[in-house]
Amino acid sequence: MLQALREIEGGIQLSLNVAARAPRLRVAPIFESFLRQVYFTGVTAATGVVLRACGLGVIIIAVMMDMLDADVDLAVKILLLLVFREIGPLAAAVVVILRTGTAVSAEMAMMRVSGQTRALRYMGIDLYDYLVLPRVAGIMLATAALTLYVQFLAVLGGLVLSPFVIEASFTELTDRLFDLFAPVDFYYSVLKSLLFGFAIAACCCWHGLNPPDLTQNAVPKAVTRAVTQSAMLVLLINAVFAYLVFGILFFGLVKAPA
Amino acid sequence: MTELAVRYRRKTARHEVQAAVPKGAVTRMHVPDDDAKAHLVTAVLKARCEPGEELELFGESAAGLPPPRRERLRARVGAVSPIVGLITNLNAWENIALPAAYHGAPPLEQVAMLAHEVLAAFGAQPRHFLARIPDELGMLERKMAAFVRSLVTAPELMVFDALEDGLSYAECRHAARFEAEYRARQPQGTVLYVDTREDS
Repeated sequence: MLQALREIEGGIQLSLNVAARAPRLRVAPIFESFLRQVYFTGVTAATGVVLRACGLGVIIIAVMMDMLDADVDLAVKILLLLVFREIGPLAAAVVVILRTGTAVSAEMAMMRVSGQTRALRYMGIDLYDYLVLPRVAGIMLATAALTLYVQFLAVLGGLVLSPFVIEASFTELTDRLFDLFAPVDFYYSVLKSLLFGFAIAACCCWHGLNPPDLTQNAVPKAVTRAVTQSAMLVLLINAVFAYLVFGILFFGLVKAPA
Repeated sequence: MTELAVRYRRKTARHEVQAAVPKGAVTRMHVPDDDAKAHLVTAVLKARCEPGEELELFGESAAGLPPPRRERLRARVGAVSPIVGLITNLNAWENIALPAAYHGAPPLEQVAMLAHEVLAAFGAQPRHFLARIPDELGMLERKMAAFVRSLVTAPELMVFDALEDGLSYAECRHAARFEAEYRARQPQGTVLYVDTREDS
């Protein structure tokens, strides 16, 4: 219980510190570190998700069509509600946790255990400035970009390949998509993915900088905790966010009309 | 009376360590063990003393110093020490330039010039040397990178902590030239070598 409270308190402190130091991103080595993080999290992960994202759209459409015997309208609604709003940000968050979360927490725990964080402090370099801020900002931005990329590919995959599964043409599906698409879908997913990125980065940085002890064995322990808690945080944010933003309206839309 | 750069005292149940390092001099200290060495070097680098320790740096007592003054004192100290190792995911140049880039001074062109001069003086090929990460550098090369990094801030006190640890005889002769290189740049500077009695 005490450990959990300590982690919550640490997470809040870290988040406040990062928010207060945002202007420090202009400092050259911090900005370089930020760009490196965006590249690692966003660019190098992008190629790996192309097939998965396309497959995601098709599988969801195919399964839903088969189960619900749906028409074009429902197919596009499913693409928007499920793929765009929910699965897209979640899929991107999973990729970020697995690729970046593990790397960041392991790197930081290693730096802490080997005394490199101490060396930074001796050089008068603030750990929040140099290690935490660029990672949190970089991961937030990259998660949002990756989410948009996954959404685009999943929806495109769904639109291109669905005609092979259901009786609807590509143009029919695309026209309906543009009819039903609302800007709120875009804002909702961007905001949610930024929050996901923030939660993942803050959680992984905190566990990386606070390993259970200062031995080599602490590194895998810190990574395990970071990844598990990041995943739980993402699921929690997803549930709370969906309830707060859309509430009954959101769930009502999924219901089949009476 | 001789002006002191460092006055340090730490008494434990097992031993007592005392240091009085005159300004501008070269002082060699042999402390009883690694723990005592770590305490001494940490206290000097942090400009902070723990309970049971007494420390004066450049005539100022480190006890109860306000943070800005402590920072100013710390900026006057440089070290080649395992306590202030290199950052493993940055190459040698990024390691050397990091403090200057972060604090905004001195200009990076000046740092680059200094790095090239010092590395060339030690017979290293600067372009090749600076592009490598610490894991690709030998022990002497890592100490050279740490030495150049500490020279960047033009410290008034240079601490060489276990400088010869892990070096071959030939490499030790190379490392012995660090002091002359420091002297050439800081003629009034103070040099403190710290080692454990077992090593010396």
